[in-house]
Amino acid sequence: MIDLLTGMLSTAILAGGVLALAALGEVLAERVGVTNLGVEGLMSMGAVVAIITVVATPNPWLGLLAATLAGAAGGMAFAFATVIVRANQVLCGLAVTFLGLGLSASIGHDYAGVPSPATFGRVPVPGLSALPVIGPAFFGQNVPVYLIYLVLPAAAHWVMFHTRHGLAMRAVGENPAAADAAGLPVTALRFWYVTLGAGLAGAAGGYLTLTYVPVWSEGLVAGRGWIALALVIFAGYRPFGATLSGLLFGLITALSFVGQARNWPIAPAFLNMLPYLGTIAFIIVPVVVWHRMRRIMAAPAALGVPYHRDVR
Amino acid sequence: MAGTLQRQPTVTPARRLAWRAGAVVTALAITTLFLALSGRDPRLLADLVVRSTVGSRFGLEDLALFLTPLLLTGAAVTVTGRIGVWNIGAEGQFYAGAIGATAIGLFLPGPSWLLLPLMAASGIACGMGWILVPALARAYAGVNEIITTLLLNFVAGLLTTYLAVGPWHDRVTGALASTGRLPVRIPEIWGVVHWGFPIALAIVLGLAWLTTRTRWGYQITIGGANEQAARYAGIPVRARILGVMLLSGGLAALAGMFEVAGTVHRLQGGLANNFGYFGIVVAVLARGSCLNVLPAALLMAFILNAGIVLQTQQLTSSAVLAITGLVLFMIAIADELAHYRPVTIRPVTPRPATSAEARP
Repeated sequence: MIDLLTGMLSTAILAGGVLALAALGEVLAERVGVTNLGVEGLMSMGAVVAIITVVATPNPWLGLLAATLAGAAGGMAFAFATVIVRANQVLCGLAVTFLGLGLSASIGHDYAGVPSPATFGRVPVPGLSALPVIGPAFFGQNVPVYLIYLVLPAAAHWVMFHTRHGLAMRAVGENPAAADAAGLPVTALRFWYVTLGAGLAGAAGGYLTLTYVPVWSEGLVAGRGWIALALVIFAGYRPFGATLSGLLFGLITALSFVGQARNWPIAPAFLNMLPYLGTIAFIIVPVVVWHRMRRIMAAPAALGVPYHRDVR
Repeated sequence: MAGTLQRQPTVTPARRLAWRAGAVVTALAITTLFLALSGRDPRLLADLVVRSTVGSRFGLEDLALFLTPLLLTGAAVTVTGRIGVWNIGAEGQFYAGAIGATAIGLFLPGPSWLLLPLMAASGIACGMGWILVPALARAYAGVNEIITTLLLNFVAGLLTTYLAVGPWHDRVTGALASTGRLPVRIPEIWGVVHWGFPIALAIVLGLAWLTTRTRWGYQITIGGANEQAARYAGIPVRARILGVMLLSGGLAALAGMFEVAGTVHRLQGGLANNFGYFGIVVAVLARGSCLNVLPAALLMAFILNAGIVLQTQQLTSSAVLAITGLVLFMIAIADELAHYRPVTIRPVTPRPATSAEARP
């Protein structure tokens, strides 16, 4: 039983890390007022680029870096279209998803089924990792886990809510016209935060193939990008909210693994549906049950609206 | 005198069409460039594409087979777009329709004149059921329908594969990944093209009439243009959102029924073949007009058919998805750029007072 709990928590942390990282990236993009529906495609690109990189040079950090850069490159194309040209964000996002899924499957064709030759190994924290149940899960993980669950969200939280720059960033997402009048560089802020968020989505894809599912196949991302998009809503557009909801969904994923491992009398297909159904429930139930939720977890006011200085 | 670009609030249809044509050509040019760089002869490929699509009887039949589901999924996304809602879940509703139709086809004995309408009805009911929760959540709680409809696609895909390999799998031939062959099929009218094709055409034309010539269609349009104003005018916007989304789910499901009963004849994983997602592209190309779904679906069917040729040239089927994404991306940019027109700003020069006063 203890072993089971430990294994479940470990899996939850790994599976949740992928979602937490992608959701954190999307929080950054949506806080400056841009919905990037391309997360799924960007993650897919990151996943395949990471595998290709580690096949060439077996260093997982290089793989993660390459995945981040691939995501950021896709994000720049998306940001160019949506922030500079100011094209429709839904369309561009879907286009990036299609492009990312198609392109990653095309360039990853020769790598299908190839196991990743280098993955992030576990680095146990001395002492703490010996704790029962939570030790191996929380303190016996690979290094990126600590980055994803602690360093990155803490940095994002501090910048967003405790610095002048963060105020500027949030202002751009709430009221770009006022931000512009106050002299803030609306276009530049939006462009770079969308790019950064896309970079994190790419990193999430790379993290997926470098730790959790260390082999490339078409359709590997399997909707995790879309779940991450939903988690942003559930997280109330807050960095630690994204991390925690990522962990929660890691737990749901782990539950379906446990069910399969222990031969629960439920077909694996139905257990595999849990994360998707859970996500749907988690974005519908709160607003239905608790109306105040809508105000507390409100989206940035200018989300999805392109900013034209001359059209107000 | 200084030249500058000014954003116009509206764009004439001709101007938009020109920009969009430019976008499609640009996307195809980039694709050609990629193919050429990867060592393939673009002229040979172009020749193959033409011969296997519009240049031969088999090509035209395939085109019609691709067109049938695209017309319906394209129309499904188009009708929700008219009230400002995105149904990204046509893929899942397609599967639901195929499942509903297969359930009747496999397990209910009867003559095909009775079974086929029953299969269609059952499929449509399943598709509507599939979109019901996202539709209710969108209409009455304002929950983002893009994410809820999309996530259900994965659930539908898993359910289809589960049924095809699990309880419904083919016990006769022992094929592992699909159900047995359906005992009834939609009759063919021209080669492999079945009656689903003219029916889909008729449905799209009917929808064009419904959305532009009826009171219901008018309420949808107003609800999509300005929800507040529509409410103030007494239009039950929420009920209309729910109704349109259910209609959309039913349309996508009918595409699934046609595919399983007319083309594939058995339920299997991957049956939807991204038709639901390509329906989004059709709807974007159609810009909210059901009549425009016809040429838009034709273009998409042509791209898909061309994709088959590319697969024979050692390209994966996913290349088509990437090409479609590129086309969509270019169109999104072109749609925005079409708003800009060069205007010249002339500095105001004070005219000599005498000449100004001398004029009548």
